[in-house]
This record gives sequence, C-alpha cells and structure tokens, in this order.
Amino acid sequence: MPKATDGIQLEGTVLECLRDAKFRVELPNGHIVLAHISGKIRKNYIKILPFDRVLVELSQYDLTRGRILFRYRN
Amino acid sequence: MNTLVITRVAERQWHALDDDFVVGRGDASPRPDGRVFLSVDAWHDDVFAHLAEAMLAALPRPLYTVVDEADLDLRTRWVQAGLTTRRREWEYVMSSGGDGAVPTPGLTLLPVGTAELDPLRQLDRTIRAEIEATIGWDQMPAAVLSRPLDPTHYAVAAELDAYVGLARLALLPRHTRIGLIAVRSDHRRRGIARALLAEILATTHARGVATVSADVHEANTAAIALFESAGARRTGSNLELVIH
Repeated sequence: MPKATDGIQLEGTVLECLRDAKFRVELPNGHIVLAHISGKIRKNYIKILPFDRVLVELSQYDLTRGRILFRYRN
Repeated sequence: MNTLVITRVAERQWHALDDDFVVGRGDASPRPDGRVFLSVDAWHDDVFAHLAEAMLAALPRPLYTVVDEADLDLRTRWVQAGLTTRRREWEYVMSSGGDGAVPTPGLTLLPVGTAELDPLRQLDRTIRAEIEATIGWDQMPAAVLSRPLDPTHYAVAAELDAYVGLARLALLPRHTRIGLIAVRSDHRRRGIARALLAEILATTHARGVATVSADVHEANTAAIALFESAGARRTGSNLELVIH
C-alpha cells in the first residue's frame, strides 16, 4: 500500500503570473513559492490570474517550488 | 531516487512510486470528440519520462497533450517522449464595454439568457454538423466542446423565425470567456458574428466584468480578425502535441 503523497497541500494567493507559465504564490504564512499548474488544470484550460485563491502542493524536494492543483471560485 | 516503480492504478491513471511514496502521477482523459489527452505531474525529469513511457506504451494512439507554449520545460519533456506539435491556439483578452450591436435590418439579437431552448438546440445541431463536415471539432479550441446546452450562457442572433448565430459565454466574475461564436454557413459575411460579439461585450460590461477572454486556432483568420477588430490582444498561446 503506497504512502500518500507527493507533498504538503496549502491554500495560497497568486501574486504574479510570470512569462514562463509559472506563478508566484503567497502562502498564509507569508512564504512565497514559485508554482506551475497541474496537468489537469492545463488540460481543462483553467486560467490562473493574480489574486486567485489556489490550492498548492509543495515539492518535498524543494519547499520554494509548488504545483497549483485547484483554483477556488473567488 | 531509489527504486522507481510505475503502477497503473486505474484504467486511465498511473502512479510513480519511490520507496512506496507517490512521486509522480499520470492521467489520460478522453474528450467528447474521442481523442485522449495525457498529463503528467512529476518534480523530476526521469520520473516524468518513466510515467510518459508507461502511458504511451499502454494506450492506443494517437495520443495528445496540451502545453502552454511559454512552458519550455514541459514542452521539452513531452518532445523527448516523442510527441510533436500539431497546432497552436492563441489566447486573446479584450475589454468589455461598447454600445452593443449596431442594428442590422431583419436581425434580432437575443441577449445572454433570453434564447429559447428548442430553436437554440436546432441551431447548435446545424452548426455542429457544418463544422464536423468541414474542419472538424478537433480543430476547434477545447473550450467549445461538450458543454450542455444551457440557454443562460448564450446570446443568439435571429432572423425571421429562425436562430442563425450564437455566442456562448462562460460568465465568471474574473474569468469570463467566450466559448464559441458561430453563424450558420448560409448567413455568414453579414456582420452577425460582429454583432454577437458586440452584444456580449456590452452585456459583460453591464454585469461588472472588465475583461473577456477567448482561445482561437491560429489558422482561424476570420475569428482572429473579429476579435482584433474589437481590440483584443494576444496574451499567450497553447500548443497541442500529438504522437501517432
């Protein structure tokens, strides 16, 4: 039985959309991570904009990197 | 990375396990037109490569994926897995506003949410058949596919007793998008699409929406001209990749 999961999941707020399809996301503790969107978000053409509230999964290998798993309705 | 194991955990889902930890996920999703789109989430290139290899070996081809053209890392990973670029969609953003459509003799514009279901369904069927008989749905941006026909999302152009053009709108406060603007082939080149777009931009402005976005196939010169004439600007692009 595999252990879950890739990393820690936290809510955050998108601060900035960068040119290389990445996003700066601020977490509730003020920590800022560089995040990309998950494959499912990409496949469903869900747009991410500044001030969006999102669910981010942090990399267990590098806590400055994240993956946006979900965009909440503001 | 110790021992990487790729496991198919469902018909269309794969996990990459390292010491029993899930370190990557793969997913294959069918679209309404029957095509299967892949996605892989992994922090490391080698995990991505192993997941992609397993999925490509297990699924019937052709297989597709979509990437933001600016995301060079992801694009490179898929190209290394053997996929090639099939087509590009431009992302356009335009400001809402304007005075609405200029009145056209004989043409009635039904604002978003006022169309009747039965004639709208008939028009939708006609337009879908026309597109299928020409370029095909697989050449249209994915956003136009598979939505249930809900009149509250449509503005419609009507002539006499028949609906002749439609525009579908996903009306979200900060993410309002045009899913489709289409006119029956025997009513084109009369400014109906332009009138529908003007109607949508006026409606969204009245509802407090500042900007509206749309995805357009790079070869759809008519749609590009239409949106650019309304002041739309390109903000990005998506690539569809395929492996046969």
